[in-house]
Amino acid sequence: MQIPYNEKLRPDTGLYNAKLGIWLFLASEIMLFGGLFSAYVLLRSSNADFMMHQHYLNVPLATLNTIILITSSVTMVMAWVSLKLNDLKKYKLYMLLTLLCSVGFLIVKFFEYSAKFEHHLYPSTDNFLGTYFTLTGLHGLHIIGGMVVMIYLVGPGVKMWETNKERFTNRVEVIGLYWHFVDLVWIFLFPALYLL
Amino acid sequence: MSHDNIQDHIKVYRNIFLALLTFTVLTVAISYVHFDLVWVGILVGLLIAGIKGYLVAANFMHLNNEKKMIYWILILTASFLVLLFFMPTLWDNNIAHSETTVLFDDPGGREYLEKSSH
Repeated sequence: MQIPYNEKLRPDTGLYNAKLGIWLFLASEIMLFGGLFSAYVLLRSSNADFMMHQHYLNVPLATLNTIILITSSVTMVMAWVSLKLNDLKKYKLYMLLTLLCSVGFLIVKFFEYSAKFEHHLYPSTDNFLGTYFTLTGLHGLHIIGGMVVMIYLVGPGVKMWETNKERFTNRVEVIGLYWHFVDLVWIFLFPALYLL
Repeated sequence: MSHDNIQDHIKVYRNIFLALLTFTVLTVAISYVHFDLVWVGILVGLLIAGIKGYLVAANFMHLNNEKKMIYWILILTASFLVLLFFMPTLWDNNIAHSETTVLFDDPGGREYLEKSSH
C-alpha cells in the first residue's frame, strides 16, 4: 500500500506527513532535554557550590565545537537548497561537509572527555559533573544518530533522487530540521555548562 | 520556491551564519566580564543564547514561515515545558532542604545540607 502525502501536502494540515512527524518527535525531544535542563536548574539553585568544578571544563574547545555545529547547520541547509536547485553534486558536497563537521565535533568531545577522565573527574564525582556528562552525553548520542541518517542519505538512500526527487528532498528537509534542533540544544548547553 | 527566491534564501543563510558566529564570540567574551550581581551575568548569557536559538529556529528551521499546525504543536509543548520547569515549586516544602537533592556523593551539597539543618 502506498503511504499517502509523502510529497503532496495534506489538505487539512498543509504539510507532508513526514514533516508533521518530525515536529512531533522534536516536541518530545524538547521535553526530554527540558527535563534535564530543569534538573540542572533545580540542582544549581539548591546548592551554592554546585558549579565548583566548572573551571575544569575547557571553554576554548567548547567554543570550537559551537562554531563547528553552527557551520554544520549552514552546510545542512545548503544541502537542502542544492536539491531545490536540482544540483545533486552540490547536495553531496554539502552533506559530506556536514558529516565532516559532525565527526569533528565528536573528536573534540573525545578529547574533552579524555581530559576529564585523566583528572579522575567522572559522572559520579559530583552533581555538576553528573549533569555535565548526562547532558553532553545525550547530546553526543543525538549527533551520532543524525550521522547515521546522513550517511544513509548521502550513500544508499540517494538512489531515491532518480525515482522520486520531491520525496528525497523532503527527507533531506526532515533530517535538516532534526540537525538544527541538535544545534539549538547545544546553543543552550554551551553557556549553561561552560560559561555562566 | 522560484530560482530567485532561493538565491535570496542563500543570502539570508550567509547573514545568519555570520550573526551566529558574532554572537558566539560575544557570549564567550561576556563570560569573562565580572558582574557584581551573578544573576545579571546569567541573564545576559541566556539572552544571547535565546537570540541565537531564535535565529536558528526562525531561519534554518523555517519557523518564520510555517503552517499553523506546527505552531500549535510548539505552543502546546512550550506550555508543558513551563509546567515542567516550575513543577518543583508546586510543592510546599522547601526543596533546598530535601535530602533528594543530593543524588550523588556531592561534598558541597552535603555541607550545604548540614549548614542549613542547624
